[in-house]
Amino acid sequence: MISVIAYGLTLGGILYIISIGFSFTFGTMKIVNYAHALIFTIGGYILYATLPRIGFYPAAVLAATLGVIPIAFIIERFVIRNLYGESVDLTIIATYAVFLIGLDVLKWIWGSNPLQMSDPINKTFTFLGTELPVYRMAVIVIALALAILIEIFLQRSMAGKIVIAGLEDKETVRGLGISVQRYFTMVFIIGSALAALGGVLYAPITVVEPYMGFQILMLSFAVVIVGGLGNWRGTFVAAFFLGMVMSVTGRWWGPASEVAVFAILAVSLLIHPIDI
Amino acid sequence: MLLEVEHLDVFYGKAQAVHSAAIGVKPGEMAFLVGRNGAGKTTIMRAISGFTRAGADSRIHFNGVDIANHRPEEIARSGLRYVFQDKRVITKLTVRENIHLAAYPFHVSPKAAVAKICDIYPRIEKFLNIKAGGLSGGQRQLLLIGRALIGNPKLLLIDEPTEGLAAGIIEDVFKVLSQLKGDVSMLIVEQNLDLVRRLADRIYAMKEGRIMMELDNSADSRSGSNLEQFL
Repeated sequence: MISVIAYGLTLGGILYIISIGFSFTFGTMKIVNYAHALIFTIGGYILYATLPRIGFYPAAVLAATLGVIPIAFIIERFVIRNLYGESVDLTIIATYAVFLIGLDVLKWIWGSNPLQMSDPINKTFTFLGTELPVYRMAVIVIALALAILIEIFLQRSMAGKIVIAGLEDKETVRGLGISVQRYFTMVFIIGSALAALGGVLYAPITVVEPYMGFQILMLSFAVVIVGGLGNWRGTFVAAFFLGMVMSVTGRWWGPASEVAVFAILAVSLLIHPIDI
Repeated sequence: MLLEVEHLDVFYGKAQAVHSAAIGVKPGEMAFLVGRNGAGKTTIMRAISGFTRAGADSRIHFNGVDIANHRPEEIARSGLRYVFQDKRVITKLTVRENIHLAAYPFHVSPKAAVAKICDIYPRIEKFLNIKAGGLSGGQRQLLLIGRALIGNPKLLLIDEPTEGLAAGIIEDVFKVLSQLKGDVSMLIVEQNLDLVRRLADRIYAMKEGRIMMELDNSADSRSGSNLEQFL
Protein backbone atom coordinates (compact mmCIF):
# COMPACT_ATOMS: atom_id res chain seq x y z
CA MET A 1 0.00 0.00 0.00
CA ILE A 2 2.88 2.37 0.79
CA SER A 3 4.24 1.93 -2.73
CA VAL A 4 0.77 2.65 -4.17
CA ILE A 5 0.57 5.90 -2.19
CA ALA A 6 4.13 6.85 -3.18
CA TYR A 7 3.37 6.20 -6.87
CA GLY A 8 0.13 8.20 -6.58
CA LEU A 9 2.00 11.14 -5.08
CA THR A 10 4.68 10.93 -7.79
CA LEU A 11 2.04 10.89 -10.50
CA GLY A 12 0.25 13.74 -8.72
CA GLY A 13 3.48 15.74 -8.66
CA ILE A 14 4.05 15.25 -12.40
CA LEU A 15 0.41 16.09 -13.15
CA TYR A 16 0.65 19.25 -11.05
CA ILE A 17 3.82 20.43 -12.77
CA ILE A 18 2.38 20.01 -16.26
CA SER A 19 -1.14 21.17 -15.35
CA ILE A 20 -0.30 24.47 -13.68
CA GLY A 21 0.80 26.13 -16.94
CA PHE A 22 -2.13 24.58 -18.80
CA SER A 23 -4.50 25.92 -16.14
CA PHE A 24 -3.12 29.46 -16.32
CA THR A 25 -3.27 29.52 -20.13
CA PHE A 26 -6.83 28.27 -19.92
CA GLY A 27 -7.75 30.69 -17.13
CA THR A 28 -6.08 33.84 -18.44
CA MET A 29 -6.39 33.48 -22.18
CA LYS A 30 -9.32 31.05 -22.51
CA ILE A 31 -7.17 28.93 -24.79
CA VAL A 32 -7.07 25.12 -24.71
CA ASN A 33 -3.43 24.73 -25.59
CA TYR A 34 -2.68 21.32 -27.09
CA ALA A 35 0.83 22.56 -27.88
CA HIS A 36 1.45 22.18 -24.13
CA ALA A 37 1.73 18.42 -24.77
CA LEU A 38 4.35 19.07 -27.43
CA ILE A 39 6.43 21.16 -25.01
CA PHE A 40 6.15 18.36 -22.42
CA THR A 41 7.45 15.87 -25.00
CA ILE A 42 10.23 18.18 -26.21
CA GLY A 43 11.39 18.47 -22.58
CA GLY A 44 11.79 14.68 -22.45
CA TYR A 45 13.67 14.58 -25.75
CA ILE A 46 16.03 17.44 -24.83
CA LEU A 47 16.86 15.59 -21.61
CA TYR A 48 17.51 12.41 -23.59
CA ALA A 49 19.78 14.30 -26.00
CA THR A 50 21.69 16.44 -23.50
CA LEU A 51 22.22 14.06 -20.58
CA PRO A 52 24.91 11.94 -22.28
CA ARG A 53 26.76 15.11 -23.37
CA ILE A 54 26.49 17.02 -20.09
CA GLY A 55 26.71 13.96 -17.87
CA PHE A 56 25.24 15.77 -14.86
CA TYR A 57 21.51 15.15 -14.41
CA PRO A 58 20.48 18.46 -12.72
CA ALA A 59 22.28 20.45 -15.45
CA ALA A 60 20.51 18.43 -18.16
CA VAL A 61 17.17 19.06 -16.40
CA LEU A 62 17.89 22.78 -16.39
CA ALA A 63 18.96 22.71 -20.05
CA ALA A 64 15.74 20.92 -21.06
CA THR A 65 13.53 23.20 -18.96
CA LEU A 66 15.11 26.40 -20.25
CA GLY A 67 15.64 25.01 -23.76
CA VAL A 68 11.92 25.07 -24.52
CA ILE A 69 11.57 28.79 -23.74
CA PRO A 70 12.43 29.99 -27.29
CA ILE A 71 10.01 27.40 -28.71
CA ALA A 72 7.28 28.51 -26.29
CA PHE A 73 7.97 32.12 -27.20
CA ILE A 74 7.57 31.40 -30.92
CA ILE A 75 4.33 29.45 -30.32
CA GLU A 76 2.96 32.28 -28.17
CA ARG A 77 3.99 35.04 -30.57
CA PHE A 78 2.80 33.45 -33.82
CA VAL A 79 -0.07 31.16 -32.79
CA ILE A 80 -1.46 31.81 -29.32
CA ARG A 81 -1.48 35.59 -29.64
CA ASN A 82 -3.67 35.33 -32.75
CA LEU A 83 -6.19 33.23 -30.86
CA TYR A 84 -7.10 35.69 -28.11
CA GLY A 85 -10.83 36.22 -28.06
CA GLU A 86 -11.43 33.41 -30.57
CA SER A 87 -13.74 30.47 -29.91
CA VAL A 88 -12.41 27.57 -27.85
CA ASP A 89 -12.94 25.23 -30.84
CA LEU A 90 -10.60 27.33 -32.98
CA THR A 91 -7.94 27.40 -30.24
CA ILE A 92 -8.10 23.60 -30.03
CA ILE A 93 -7.77 23.18 -33.80
CA ALA A 94 -4.88 25.67 -34.11
CA THR A 95 -2.85 24.37 -31.13
CA TYR A 96 -3.55 20.75 -32.13
CA ALA A 97 -2.06 21.59 -35.54
CA VAL A 98 1.05 22.93 -33.79
CA PHE A 99 1.18 19.71 -31.74
CA LEU A 100 1.00 17.54 -34.88
CA ILE A 101 3.63 19.57 -36.76
CA GLY A 102 5.96 19.42 -33.75
CA LEU A 103 5.34 15.70 -33.40
CA ASP A 104 6.45 15.09 -36.99
CA VAL A 105 9.58 17.17 -36.41
CA LEU A 106 10.38 15.07 -33.31
CA LYS A 107 9.83 11.83 -35.28
CA TRP A 108 12.05 13.17 -38.06
CA ILE A 109 14.87 13.89 -35.59
CA TRP A 110 14.59 10.95 -33.18
CA GLY A 111 12.31 8.45 -34.91
CA SER A 112 9.15 6.88 -33.48
CA ASN A 113 10.69 4.20 -31.30
CA PRO A 114 10.46 4.63 -27.53
CA LEU A 115 13.73 5.67 -25.96
CA GLN A 116 14.50 4.19 -22.56
CA MET A 117 16.11 6.26 -19.81
CA SER A 118 17.49 4.97 -16.57
CA ASP A 119 16.61 6.18 -13.08
CA PRO A 120 18.99 9.14 -12.63
CA ILE A 121 19.41 8.54 -8.88
CA ASN A 122 19.11 4.76 -8.94
CA LYS A 123 18.86 4.42 -5.19
CA THR A 124 16.08 3.20 -2.94
CA PHE A 125 15.20 3.61 0.69
CA THR A 126 12.98 1.60 2.98
CA PHE A 127 9.89 3.17 4.51
CA LEU A 128 7.62 1.09 6.79
CA GLY A 129 9.06 -2.04 5.29
CA THR A 130 8.54 -0.95 1.67
CA GLU A 131 11.41 -0.18 -0.65
CA LEU A 132 10.85 3.11 -2.52
CA PRO A 133 12.93 4.76 -5.28
CA VAL A 134 14.55 7.99 -4.08
CA TYR A 135 13.91 9.54 -7.53
CA ARG A 136 10.14 9.35 -7.12
CA MET A 137 10.36 11.00 -3.73
CA ALA A 138 12.49 13.73 -5.31
CA VAL A 139 9.73 14.33 -7.89
CA ILE A 140 7.19 14.79 -5.07
CA VAL A 141 9.52 17.23 -3.26
CA ILE A 142 10.09 19.23 -6.48
CA ALA A 143 6.31 19.46 -7.08
CA LEU A 144 5.70 20.65 -3.51
CA ALA A 145 8.54 23.18 -3.75
CA LEU A 146 7.11 24.50 -7.03
CA ALA A 147 3.65 24.83 -5.47
CA ILE A 148 5.15 26.92 -2.66
CA LEU A 149 7.14 29.07 -5.11
CA ILE A 150 4.06 29.67 -7.26
CA GLU A 151 2.06 30.63 -4.17
CA ILE A 152 4.79 33.08 -3.09
CA PHE A 153 5.03 34.52 -6.62
CA LEU A 154 1.28 35.07 -6.84
CA GLN A 155 0.76 36.40 -3.33
CA ARG A 156 3.90 38.47 -2.80
CA SER A 157 4.94 39.93 -6.16
CA MET A 158 3.17 42.65 -8.10
CA ALA A 159 3.40 40.51 -11.25
CA GLY A 160 1.63 37.73 -9.36
CA LYS A 161 -1.13 40.06 -8.21
CA ILE A 162 -1.58 41.30 -11.77
CA VAL A 163 -1.98 37.69 -12.89
CA ILE A 164 -4.56 37.00 -10.14
CA ALA A 165 -6.41 40.17 -11.13
CA GLY A 166 -6.16 39.29 -14.83
CA LEU A 167 -7.58 35.84 -14.18
CA GLU A 168 -10.60 37.46 -12.54
CA ASP A 169 -11.20 40.49 -14.75
CA LYS A 170 -8.84 41.31 -17.61
CA GLU A 171 -10.75 44.46 -18.63
CA THR A 172 -10.49 46.01 -15.19
CA VAL A 173 -6.73 45.46 -15.14
CA ARG A 174 -6.35 47.03 -18.58
CA GLY A 175 -8.52 49.94 -17.43
CA LEU A 176 -5.98 50.59 -14.68
CA GLY A 177 -3.32 51.18 -17.34
CA ILE A 178 -1.63 47.78 -17.03
CA SER A 179 -0.62 45.91 -20.20
CA VAL A 180 -1.96 42.64 -18.86
CA GLN A 181 -1.06 40.78 -22.06
CA ARG A 182 2.63 41.06 -21.23
CA TYR A 183 2.02 39.24 -17.95
CA PHE A 184 -0.05 36.57 -19.66
CA THR A 185 2.84 35.99 -22.09
CA MET A 186 5.18 35.66 -19.11
CA VAL A 187 2.79 33.17 -17.49
CA PHE A 188 2.57 31.22 -20.74
CA ILE A 189 6.34 30.94 -20.98
CA ILE A 190 6.76 29.95 -17.32
CA GLY A 191 3.93 27.42 -17.75
CA SER A 192 5.64 25.99 -20.83
CA ALA A 193 8.96 25.68 -18.99
CA LEU A 194 7.10 23.81 -16.24
CA ALA A 195 5.50 21.52 -18.85
CA ALA A 196 9.00 20.73 -20.11
CA LEU A 197 10.10 20.10 -16.53
CA GLY A 198 7.16 17.71 -16.19
CA GLY A 199 8.36 15.84 -19.30
CA VAL A 200 11.90 15.80 -17.97
CA LEU A 201 10.85 14.35 -14.62
CA TYR A 202 8.45 11.86 -16.19
CA ALA A 203 10.92 10.54 -18.80
CA PRO A 204 12.93 8.30 -16.40
CA ILE A 205 9.69 6.82 -14.98
CA THR A 206 8.32 5.91 -18.41
CA VAL A 207 9.92 6.14 -21.88
CA VAL A 208 10.55 9.05 -24.20
CA GLU A 209 8.35 8.74 -27.27
CA PRO A 210 6.54 11.19 -29.56
CA TYR A 211 3.07 10.63 -28.05
CA MET A 212 4.08 10.73 -24.39
CA GLY A 213 2.63 14.23 -24.06
CA PHE A 214 -0.75 13.46 -25.57
CA GLN A 215 -1.79 10.95 -22.95
CA ILE A 216 -0.62 13.16 -20.09
CA LEU A 217 -2.38 16.19 -21.61
CA MET A 218 -5.72 14.42 -21.40
CA LEU A 219 -5.05 13.72 -17.72
CA SER A 220 -3.88 17.30 -17.27
CA PHE A 221 -7.11 18.49 -18.86
CA ALA A 222 -9.02 16.52 -16.22
CA VAL A 223 -6.88 18.08 -13.46
CA VAL A 224 -7.52 21.59 -14.71
CA ILE A 225 -11.29 21.11 -14.98
CA VAL A 226 -11.64 19.32 -11.64
CA GLY A 227 -9.38 21.90 -9.94
CA GLY A 228 -11.15 24.88 -11.52
CA LEU A 229 -9.97 26.92 -14.52
CA GLY A 230 -7.12 29.19 -13.52
CA ASN A 231 -7.40 28.06 -9.89
CA TRP A 232 -3.81 27.30 -8.93
CA ARG A 233 -4.67 25.87 -5.50
CA GLY A 234 -7.45 23.76 -6.95
CA THR A 235 -5.03 22.49 -9.60
CA PHE A 236 -2.63 21.40 -6.86
CA VAL A 237 -5.31 19.49 -4.92
CA ALA A 238 -6.85 17.96 -8.08
CA ALA A 239 -3.45 16.81 -9.42
CA PHE A 240 -2.55 14.90 -6.27
CA PHE A 241 -6.09 13.60 -5.82
CA LEU A 242 -6.30 12.28 -9.39
CA GLY A 243 -2.75 10.94 -9.23
CA MET A 244 -3.76 8.97 -6.16
CA VAL A 245 -6.98 7.79 -7.83
CA MET A 246 -4.95 6.49 -10.78
CA SER A 247 -2.47 4.76 -8.57
CA VAL A 248 -5.03 3.10 -6.30
CA THR A 249 -7.32 2.08 -9.18
CA GLY A 250 -4.36 0.83 -11.20
CA ARG A 251 -3.22 -1.30 -8.27
CA TRP A 252 -6.45 -3.32 -8.38
CA TRP A 253 -7.35 -3.11 -12.06
CA GLY A 254 -4.82 -1.44 -14.38
CA PRO A 255 -7.06 -0.61 -17.36
CA ALA A 256 -9.49 1.26 -15.11
CA SER A 257 -7.00 3.82 -13.79
CA GLU A 258 -7.58 6.44 -16.51
CA VAL A 259 -11.27 5.60 -16.76
CA ALA A 260 -11.59 6.51 -13.08
CA VAL A 261 -10.01 9.92 -13.75
CA PHE A 262 -12.40 10.69 -16.59
CA ALA A 263 -15.36 9.45 -14.55
CA ILE A 264 -14.40 11.99 -11.85
CA LEU A 265 -14.05 14.63 -14.59
CA ALA A 266 -17.57 13.82 -15.82
CA VAL A 267 -19.01 14.06 -12.28
CA SER A 268 -17.16 17.34 -11.74
CA LEU A 269 -18.64 18.77 -14.95
CA LEU A 270 -22.11 17.67 -13.92
CA ILE A 271 -21.74 19.42 -10.56
CA HIS A 272 -19.90 22.51 -11.86
CA PRO A 273 -20.42 22.99 -15.61
CA ILE A 274 -17.67 25.20 -17.04
CA ASP A 275 -18.41 28.39 -18.88
CA ILE A 276 -15.77 29.14 -21.52
CA MET B 1 -12.28 70.88 -25.03
CA LEU B 2 -10.53 68.20 -23.03
CA LEU B 3 -12.59 65.44 -24.64
CA GLU B 4 -14.05 65.88 -28.08
CA VAL B 5 -16.06 63.09 -29.66
CA GLU B 6 -17.49 63.52 -33.14
CA HIS B 7 -19.26 61.19 -35.57
CA LEU B 8 -18.93 58.28 -33.15
CA ASP B 9 -20.46 55.13 -34.61
CA VAL B 10 -20.34 51.77 -32.88
CA PHE B 11 -21.46 48.49 -34.41
CA TYR B 12 -22.10 45.12 -32.82
CA GLY B 13 -21.90 42.90 -35.86
CA LYS B 14 -24.34 44.43 -38.34
CA ALA B 15 -26.37 46.23 -35.68
CA GLN B 16 -25.48 49.87 -35.09
CA ALA B 17 -25.55 50.70 -31.37
CA VAL B 18 -24.38 54.32 -31.58
CA HIS B 19 -25.14 56.71 -34.46
CA SER B 20 -22.80 59.64 -35.13
CA ALA B 21 -22.63 60.74 -31.50
CA ALA B 22 -20.96 64.04 -30.56
CA ILE B 23 -19.89 64.76 -27.00
CA GLY B 24 -17.55 67.29 -25.46
CA VAL B 25 -16.16 67.75 -21.96
CA LYS B 26 -14.29 70.94 -21.03
CA PRO B 27 -11.44 70.99 -18.49
CA GLY B 28 -12.87 70.84 -14.95
CA GLU B 29 -16.36 70.17 -16.25
CA MET B 30 -18.76 67.53 -14.94
CA ALA B 31 -20.87 66.19 -17.80
CA PHE B 32 -23.61 63.60 -17.59
CA LEU B 33 -24.98 61.12 -20.09
CA VAL B 34 -28.58 60.14 -19.42
CA GLY B 35 -30.95 57.79 -21.17
CA ARG B 36 -32.85 54.53 -20.86
CA ASN B 37 -31.23 51.12 -20.59
CA GLY B 38 -30.01 50.11 -24.03
CA ALA B 39 -29.80 53.72 -25.28
CA GLY B 40 -26.06 53.29 -25.95
CA LYS B 41 -24.57 55.17 -22.97
CA THR B 42 -22.22 52.42 -21.83
CA THR B 43 -21.27 51.68 -25.44
CA ILE B 44 -20.14 55.29 -25.82
CA MET B 45 -18.11 55.09 -22.59
CA ARG B 46 -16.50 51.83 -23.72
CA ALA B 47 -15.69 53.22 -27.16
CA ILE B 48 -14.06 56.35 -25.69
CA SER B 49 -11.97 54.26 -23.27
CA GLY B 50 -10.90 51.79 -25.96
CA PHE B 51 -12.82 48.71 -24.82
CA THR B 52 -15.22 48.70 -27.75
CA ARG B 53 -14.21 49.41 -31.33
CA ALA B 54 -15.33 52.76 -32.75
CA GLY B 55 -16.42 53.03 -36.42
CA ALA B 56 -13.84 54.04 -39.01
CA ASP B 57 -14.96 57.66 -39.34
CA SER B 58 -15.27 58.25 -35.59
CA ARG B 59 -13.18 61.00 -34.09
CA ILE B 60 -12.22 60.82 -30.40
CA HIS B 61 -9.75 63.46 -29.25
CA PHE B 62 -8.54 63.58 -25.68
CA ASN B 63 -6.25 66.36 -24.54
CA GLY B 64 -5.55 67.19 -28.20
CA VAL B 65 -4.57 63.63 -29.15
CA ASP B 66 -6.55 61.23 -31.33
CA ILE B 67 -7.23 58.18 -29.15
CA ALA B 68 -9.86 56.42 -31.28
CA ASN B 69 -9.34 52.66 -31.12
CA HIS B 70 -6.16 52.95 -29.08
CA ARG B 71 -5.54 50.21 -26.51
CA PRO B 72 -7.45 50.70 -23.24
CA GLU B 73 -4.27 50.56 -21.15
CA GLU B 74 -2.64 53.27 -23.30
CA ILE B 75 -5.73 55.47 -22.97
CA ALA B 76 -5.76 54.92 -19.19
CA ARG B 77 -2.09 55.84 -18.93
CA SER B 78 -2.70 59.00 -20.99
CA GLY B 79 -4.95 60.28 -18.19
CA LEU B 80 -8.43 59.07 -19.11
CA ARG B 81 -9.75 56.54 -16.62
CA TYR B 82 -12.93 54.47 -16.98
CA VAL B 83 -14.82 53.27 -13.90
CA PHE B 84 -16.91 50.34 -15.11
CA GLN B 85 -20.54 49.65 -14.41
CA ASP B 86 -21.26 46.82 -11.94
CA LYS B 87 -18.63 47.93 -9.38
CA ARG B 88 -15.88 45.67 -10.66
CA VAL B 89 -13.25 45.35 -7.96
CA ILE B 90 -10.79 42.45 -7.93
CA THR B 91 -12.58 40.31 -5.36
CA LYS B 92 -9.69 37.90 -4.73
CA LEU B 93 -7.31 40.70 -3.71
CA THR B 94 -7.58 42.79 -0.57
CA VAL B 95 -8.73 46.39 -0.73
CA ARG B 96 -5.12 47.45 -0.11
CA GLU B 97 -3.88 45.24 -2.96
CA ASN B 98 -6.56 46.66 -5.26
CA ILE B 99 -5.17 50.11 -4.52
CA HIS B 100 -1.55 48.97 -4.99
CA LEU B 101 -2.50 47.53 -8.37
CA ALA B 102 -3.84 50.91 -9.49
CA ALA B 103 -0.70 52.69 -8.25
CA TYR B 104 1.72 50.37 -10.06
CA PRO B 105 1.48 51.64 -13.68
CA PHE B 106 1.81 55.25 -12.54
CA HIS B 107 4.85 54.65 -10.31
CA VAL B 108 2.94 56.09 -7.35
CA SER B 109 4.14 54.69 -4.04
CA PRO B 110 1.64 52.19 -2.60
CA LYS B 111 1.55 54.13 0.68
CA ALA B 112 0.74 57.42 -1.06
CA ALA B 113 -1.98 55.71 -3.09
CA VAL B 114 -3.63 54.27 0.03
CA ALA B 115 -3.37 57.66 1.77
CA LYS B 116 -5.03 59.37 -1.20
CA ILE B 117 -8.01 57.04 -1.15
CA CYS B 118 -8.34 57.27 2.63
CA ASP B 119 -8.35 61.04 2.22
CA ILE B 120 -11.26 60.88 -0.25
CA TYR B 121 -13.14 58.17 1.64
CA PRO B 122 -11.81 57.85 5.23
CA ARG B 123 -14.10 54.94 6.16
CA ILE B 124 -12.24 52.65 3.76
CA GLU B 125 -9.30 52.57 6.18
CA LYS B 126 -10.79 49.85 8.37
CA PHE B 127 -11.46 47.62 5.34
CA LEU B 128 -7.96 47.82 3.82
CA ASN B 129 -6.98 44.28 4.78
CA ILE B 130 -10.17 42.44 3.82
CA LYS B 131 -10.80 40.91 0.39
CA ALA B 132 -12.48 43.49 -1.84
CA GLY B 133 -15.20 40.93 -2.58
CA GLY B 134 -16.42 41.49 0.99
CA LEU B 135 -17.18 45.20 0.45
CA SER B 136 -20.73 46.48 0.07
CA GLY B 137 -21.83 48.03 -3.24
CA GLY B 138 -21.32 51.57 -1.97
CA GLN B 139 -17.89 50.82 -0.52
CA ARG B 140 -16.87 49.21 -3.80
CA GLN B 141 -18.03 52.22 -5.78
CA LEU B 142 -16.10 54.67 -3.62
CA LEU B 143 -13.03 52.43 -3.77
CA LEU B 144 -13.32 52.39 -7.57
CA ILE B 145 -13.65 56.16 -7.85
CA GLY B 146 -10.71 56.64 -5.47
CA ARG B 147 -8.66 54.03 -7.31
CA ALA B 148 -9.31 55.76 -10.63
CA LEU B 149 -7.92 59.00 -9.21
CA ILE B 150 -4.46 57.54 -8.53
CA GLY B 151 -1.91 59.06 -10.89
CA ASN B 152 -3.93 62.28 -11.21
CA PRO B 153 -6.00 61.60 -14.34
CA LYS B 154 -7.44 64.50 -16.32
CA LEU B 155 -10.75 62.83 -17.06
CA LEU B 156 -12.86 60.18 -15.32
CA LEU B 157 -15.57 58.26 -17.14
CA ILE B 158 -17.88 56.81 -14.49
CA ASP B 159 -20.61 54.38 -15.49
CA GLU B 160 -23.75 54.29 -13.33
CA PRO B 161 -22.07 55.12 -9.99
CA THR B 162 -25.30 54.98 -7.95
CA GLU B 163 -26.95 52.00 -9.62
CA GLY B 164 -28.32 49.58 -7.03
CA LEU B 165 -27.20 51.67 -4.04
CA ALA B 166 -29.30 52.59 -1.00
CA ALA B 167 -30.31 56.23 -0.60
CA GLY B 168 -27.80 56.88 2.23
CA ILE B 169 -24.92 55.51 0.19
CA ILE B 170 -25.98 57.53 -2.86
CA GLU B 171 -25.50 60.60 -0.69
CA ASP B 172 -21.94 59.42 0.13
CA VAL B 173 -21.22 59.03 -3.59
CA PHE B 174 -22.74 62.47 -4.20
CA LYS B 175 -20.47 64.00 -1.54
CA VAL B 176 -17.36 62.44 -3.04
CA LEU B 177 -18.29 63.54 -6.57
CA SER B 178 -19.07 67.09 -5.47
CA GLN B 179 -15.80 67.18 -3.54
CA LEU B 180 -13.95 66.25 -6.74
CA LYS B 181 -15.90 68.64 -8.96
CA GLY B 182 -13.62 71.18 -10.61
CA ASP B 183 -10.42 69.26 -9.77
CA VAL B 184 -10.91 66.57 -12.36
CA SER B 185 -13.17 66.49 -15.41
CA MET B 186 -15.84 63.83 -15.45
CA LEU B 187 -18.28 62.23 -17.85
CA ILE B 188 -20.81 60.23 -15.87
CA VAL B 189 -23.57 57.88 -16.98
CA GLU B 190 -26.40 58.28 -14.50
CA GLN B 191 -30.12 57.60 -14.26
CA ASN B 192 -30.70 59.44 -10.99
CA LEU B 193 -31.91 62.79 -12.32
CA ASP B 194 -31.86 64.42 -8.91
CA LEU B 195 -28.13 63.77 -8.64
CA VAL B 196 -27.62 64.82 -12.27
CA ARG B 197 -29.35 68.15 -11.76
CA ARG B 198 -27.43 68.86 -8.56
CA LEU B 199 -24.00 68.17 -10.03
CA ALA B 200 -24.03 68.59 -13.81
CA ASP B 201 -22.41 71.38 -15.78
CA ARG B 202 -23.53 69.78 -19.02
CA ILE B 203 -26.03 67.04 -19.82
CA TYR B 204 -26.33 64.80 -22.87
CA ALA B 205 -29.58 62.86 -23.29
CA MET B 206 -29.57 59.71 -25.40
CA LYS B 207 -32.23 57.65 -27.09
CA GLU B 208 -31.81 54.61 -29.34
CA GLY B 209 -28.11 55.19 -29.92
CA ARG B 210 -28.40 58.88 -30.69
CA ILE B 211 -27.61 62.02 -28.71
CA MET B 212 -31.00 63.73 -28.70
CA MET B 213 -30.25 66.76 -26.58
CA GLU B 214 -27.33 68.69 -25.11
CA LEU B 215 -27.83 71.30 -22.46
CA ASP B 216 -25.85 73.50 -20.14
CA ASN B 217 -27.21 72.86 -16.69
CA SER B 218 -27.79 76.50 -15.91
CA ALA B 219 -30.90 77.59 -14.04
CA ASP B 220 -32.64 78.58 -17.27
CA SER B 221 -32.10 75.31 -19.05
CA ARG B 222 -33.00 73.38 -15.89
CA SER B 223 -36.42 74.92 -15.81
CA GLY B 224 -36.98 74.41 -19.53
CA SER B 225 -35.65 70.91 -19.90
CA ASN B 226 -37.62 67.74 -19.62
CA LEU B 227 -35.00 65.07 -19.03
CA GLU B 228 -37.61 62.65 -17.69
CA GLN B 229 -38.75 61.90 -21.23
CA PHE B 230 -35.42 60.18 -21.87
CA LEU B 231 -35.71 57.80 -18.90
